[in-house]
Amino acid sequence: MTLRVGILAIAGIGVVLLAVVAAGVSPIAAARELIAGSMGSPGAWNGTLKDTTPLLIAGLAVYVALRAGLFNIGVEGQLIVGAMACAVVALAVPGVLGIALGVAAGTVCGGLWALPAGLIKAYRGGHEVITTIMLNSVALFFTHYMVAGPIQAPGQQNTTTARLAEATMLPVLYSAPPLRVSSAILAGLLLLGLFTIWLRRTVSGYELGLVGANPRAAELAGVATKRVIVRSMLASGAISGLAGALQVLAYEGRFYADFSPGYGFDALGVALLAGASPLGLIPAAFLFGVLSKGSSAVQLIGVPKGISLVVIGLLIVVFAAVRFRRQAAHE
Amino acid sequence: MPGGSANGSAWETGPQGARSFRSVTLRSVTKSFGALRALDGVDFQVEAGSIHALVGENGAGKTTLMRVLYGSLQADSGAVLLDGKEARFRSAADGIRAGIGMVSQHNSIIGELSCLENLLLGAEGGVTVRLRDSERRAEALASKMGFSFDWRRDASGLSPAGAQKLEILKLLWRNARIMILDEPTAMLSPADSGLLFASLKSLVQEGAIVILVTHRLPEVMEHCGAVTVLRGGKLVGEKLVRDTGARELAEMIVGHALEAAAIADAPAAAAPLLSVRDLTVAGDRGNDAVRNVSLEVRSGEIVGIAGVDGSGQRELFRALMGVVRPREGEIDLKGDRITKASPAARIRAGVRLIPEDRHADGVVDDWSLVENAAIGLQRLPPLASGSWVDAAGKARFASAAADRFKTRYTSLRARLSGLSGGNQQRFVAGRALALDPKLILAYQPARGLDIDATRDVYDGLRKACAEGAGALVVSYDLDELLENCHRVVAMNLGRLWEPAPGKERDRAEIGRLMVGAE
Amino acid sequence: MSEAWILTLLASTLTLSSPLILASIGGYCSERGGVINIALEGKMLISACVTALVAIGTGNAVLGLLAGLGASVLLAWLHWLLTQAYQIDHIVSGMALNALAFGAANFLDKRFTDPERTEPMPHLPLGFFYALAVVLPVALALYSKHGRGGLRLRAVGGDPEKARLMGVSPQAVRFWGLTAAGVLCGLSGALIVTNARWFTDGMTAGRGFVALAALILGGWRPIPAALACAGIGLFFAVEVQLQGTPILGMRVPPDFWSALPYAMTVIVLAGFLGRSRPPAGLGKP
Repeated sequence: MTLRVGILAIAGIGVVLLAVVAAGVSPIAAARELIAGSMGSPGAWNGTLKDTTPLLIAGLAVYVALRAGLFNIGVEGQLIVGAMACAVVALAVPGVLGIALGVAAGTVCGGLWALPAGLIKAYRGGHEVITTIMLNSVALFFTHYMVAGPIQAPGQQNTTTARLAEATMLPVLYSAPPLRVSSAILAGLLLLGLFTIWLRRTVSGYELGLVGANPRAAELAGVATKRVIVRSMLASGAISGLAGALQVLAYEGRFYADFSPGYGFDALGVALLAGASPLGLIPAAFLFGVLSKGSSAVQLIGVPKGISLVVIGLLIVVFAAVRFRRQAAHE
Repeated sequence: MPGGSANGSAWETGPQGARSFRSVTLRSVTKSFGALRALDGVDFQVEAGSIHALVGENGAGKTTLMRVLYGSLQADSGAVLLDGKEARFRSAADGIRAGIGMVSQHNSIIGELSCLENLLLGAEGGVTVRLRDSERRAEALASKMGFSFDWRRDASGLSPAGAQKLEILKLLWRNARIMILDEPTAMLSPADSGLLFASLKSLVQEGAIVILVTHRLPEVMEHCGAVTVLRGGKLVGEKLVRDTGARELAEMIVGHALEAAAIADAPAAAAPLLSVRDLTVAGDRGNDAVRNVSLEVRSGEIVGIAGVDGSGQRELFRALMGVVRPREGEIDLKGDRITKASPAARIRAGVRLIPEDRHADGVVDDWSLVENAAIGLQRLPPLASGSWVDAAGKARFASAAADRFKTRYTSLRARLSGLSGGNQQRFVAGRALALDPKLILAYQPARGLDIDATRDVYDGLRKACAEGAGALVVSYDLDELLENCHRVVAMNLGRLWEPAPGKERDRAEIGRLMVGAE
Repeated sequence: MSEAWILTLLASTLTLSSPLILASIGGYCSERGGVINIALEGKMLISACVTALVAIGTGNAVLGLLAGLGASVLLAWLHWLLTQAYQIDHIVSGMALNALAFGAANFLDKRFTDPERTEPMPHLPLGFFYALAVVLPVALALYSKHGRGGLRLRAVGGDPEKARLMGVSPQAVRFWGLTAAGVLCGLSGALIVTNARWFTDGMTAGRGFVALAALILGGWRPIPAALACAGIGLFFAVEVQLQGTPILGMRVPPDFWSALPYAMTVIVLAGFLGRSRPPAGLGKP
């Protein structure tokens, strides 16, 4: 089995190398740019962390649903809806109270955005992949409409809200300009820790895993599977919304069209790479952060950004070949 | 002559015309699956002229040997000879082409296709499927055997007996001259079994070779001419049926002298534990799967439910577990009405399930033994205290569950899938009995277990019942129920029939009830 | 509602539903055999990209189409490899393939497209694609019932293990099914890019998923799925006709119309899904 996975990995690396060369760039130069662009300077680190934070939290969101056997592809939509809600509330209520309410608003709205998918899956059997993807598109158009109209910053031509005051942004942990490490990452790690404990140590955590592993056995084991499905989609959406809210409060300070550079999709990759323990989300999110920031740099020397998606796809394939194998038919 | 029309039309994929074989030989066949040696130098010889039985316990290698003959499995060493000439089969398709057909234990009827399409699959005879012509030929074949089918209807509507008949027709469609039937009567009532054997005998008379794989000795004694015994992958012996008897065969199968089965004592009259009244449960396809069933199980009692697969046992158990709401009727446990109670509440009250298919309903193959032990019991002390998991308690319980029926395992943290099927079943049965069981619902608890393990499981059930629990056991093996339960009832087409007083363990009586004859 | 308006609407419907129909029956060829296919989108997109690139590069529309079909078939074969040979979860495979397709399309487009170019790509007549969109669902339905391949596809999707016992290899049947899916999605993507005259990043706009939803609505049967696509296409068409028109005296923002088809898909899935049963072998090895 390791051989087959190895073949896949080598083939994948080959494809990436070929693509880089086809772009007229030497692979070594590309690799150097990737590392330099993501970790080579305080400015680079800033960008990497700015991406890693939402990836970690959104990755957790996908992971929670994945544990219950659900594929939440709608993180993108839930995240931007949460971000928008947070921005609106925080602009209306300044200061620390604004931060708290903004976080709450983002979390709630993200959860609500995922709720239909959870309900449809639990009570109608409609696959959550399609419903969440559809809701992504709805979220995109909805937020675009809002930010081009009702919540647009007064006097602005761009599709953006006004900026939040410094007092309504999350405190910074460490600052050495241009590097700003926001406390948002702390929030993310804390949430991750809490979830890990919940999953491992509580009965409901066990039941979540059982629903994901064998829903029929879960039903016979006394687990209220339908409720678990709805609750985990709700939680997943809420965490996505939180990711969006924190992104506003920690880094962006406003909400605008095209807010998310694809965090939702990357979050899926993060969750898939994390593996058996939720703590694996940390290195996975960091890896994706590096890829994301690094590929922007690599783009400047001629390799189109699409390469990072290709790498992500290949990573998912290799990891899934090890972990997400379908069960073979039984004798 | 069976085998279809003599016009040799283009769509017959079997050998042209009906070429019979006189003998089939498997010589020195060895096959291993990893470390497990399933077959060890087995010689097997069948002559035409009578039904030849291949007997042995579950796991003795009977099915494996037949799959080698049929071509769906390749032996590590050894040869297959047809009429003395060696034949090499690289796949089931090769075997089919040479004229060998196998009806496996669990039929291979695909519910989503029509009856006719199931018959044709794999032997369509061309790029297009000529539905009308095929239907005519199928009808001719079927009526010859005394069968009748609604060809265009979905095969999902077939009864187990109907499915079995369609399986046999499949072999005839492909001009099979060597027919292997693997436990064909497992899902049939005694009456349908009789009809099946009549058809098989007529096939034998017309020159076909029929091999019957079974562990039901009464059938062997009544219908077969010769019998081969396997044990632990090795050939134990070959006899003509008229030269031997059931007791001798049983001893060859098990390898040691058998004591007479322990006849269970009926318990002293005790309070009713489970009381089911007029229960009606809807089925998958709009009709009622369980109809006005009333049943009582007393403390200390093991009640067996006999009946062929599909008589409503599954839905009854689902209603008793609480995953399905009955349309009508009431269920009482220890005096409390639990008709509307959730599965979790029932588990708290002491209901324990040994599911029909542990892979689908009872375990997670990739999880460790410890994690699997908690399934169903995750909220109960000592596995949990309040909302928190008690890891030590869980581990202790897992150990107790494994030891109850002597499950062989390397480590409690190892995956369940690493255990053999028999050990997995032991574990699942042990899990159900290890924590205060009050009402044990066991669906084919001895599935995949050999005689000794089966005995252990039923002994365990008896002991639990002696301590005050009650058990309801569903099995498709009437003899197993008769040997191990205090009394046996029958289900047929959703209704439950109790035998007349005094005949609670009368084989003929219950056999009749299983088919609905009152 | 004048006659002209209705005719325009019907023509619009044909235009808008054809790519959906082709992708949807492509999904049929895959899912009916038991392979969950959420990568219709990726196959469509890569075909759109490659069709445009090769057509422009060689100046030959037919070569462009063949190359586009080749690209989506390649992706389909990769899909087969992942799900059948490596036994990777079908949904995860699909998402990975979509990532690969999106990334590759972006890469190829940015690397090889001449941004200065203003003339449209050489293309086959649109009528060719529309004709296929009308004819193929019917042909597929007939083949499914009367063709040997169709029977085997349904058998493998109904119960792959039992089909194997009958001498039919699920792996082999699914290979051909996925190849067909690749061809059909390739046609869909080629149509999309032909219609638009040039390739834009992400131009499939979620239509691959809408096509999958239509397949589910149609109960995994070709003609009902095609009809569902036509219904959705009609909806898109109405949206185009009504853009800018006030409804009940209120001005409706364009974003509302853009979002409506997707919202409708969710609503429809919520309402109808209880009735439609997937092939029993979906997702099984």
